[in-house]
Amino acid sequence: MFTTRRGLLIGAAVLTAAGCTGQTGQITTADADLTAALRTARALAQGAEALGYNEIAEDHRTHAATLERLLRPNAIAEDETAAPADAAALADAETAGSAEAAEACMTTESDYAVLFGEIAASRAAHAAVIA
Amino acid sequence: MTAIDTGLAAEYAAIYAYGAAAVHLDGDPRSQAEALESEHRSRRDVLLDHYAAAGADAPPPESAYDVGVIGDAAAAQDLLTTVEESVAATWRAGLAATDPDERQLCLDMYSAAAVALARWRLAVGQPVADPWPGRPE
Repeated sequence: MFTTRRGLLIGAAVLTAAGCTGQTGQITTADADLTAALRTARALAQGAEALGYNEIAEDHRTHAATLERLLRPNAIAEDETAAPADAAALADAETAGSAEAAEACMTTESDYAVLFGEIAASRAAHAAVIA
Repeated sequence: MTAIDTGLAAEYAAIYAYGAAAVHLDGDPRSQAEALESEHRSRRDVLLDHYAAAGADAPPPESAYDVGVIGDAAAAQDLLTTVEESVAATWRAGLAATDPDERQLCLDMYSAAAVALARWRLAVGQPVADPWPGRPE
């Protein structure tokens, strides 16, 4: 196929540019911590809305929008979750969500430690004012 | 300076500001200010213990901080809102620390600062919702 050294080099360059290098393709996978944070943000938003904490729900929607943007091109379907029974249950859910994000802040291998820490702190503040 | 040095400096400044501002407050804001001042002192003590455990010298506080003129309760409330926002912003910056122990301490302090900011805003009738506590605008 390549009869000269120059032809070989050009051919290699063309094949590399075309992505035909024998390397396996990489499928973009969703970051597990981002996905978990998104699911929790959506669930907390639904719970806060159900109990009339609309400003707090908006915080969670803001978190969810940011997480959705970072997860693109992956799209995570939104699940319907049961509403918390009362404010104490919502505060407990906020505390659990804060702990989840705090753990992600400490263990993530991505560049999102600050983001997870912000989400953890915001949820902790929600729990404190709801309680 | 490390993130913890900067955070300790913010806690020193907060304690000073509460000492100057709380006397101008009454009712719920006064009670909350006294509670939050006590929490800043507790956080300062945790940080001083951290330095002692590491065998390091903690940075000392300044002899005084510029808190401006506090003429009335409104000025005191504004000052303490600014102080709590500043403390949260300072600890937030430490989340990028690569040392796990430093990041954990900054995360703990940042979460406590976000809670304090929300409680203070609630006490003075400000909106408490904040998706990104301490994030620069």
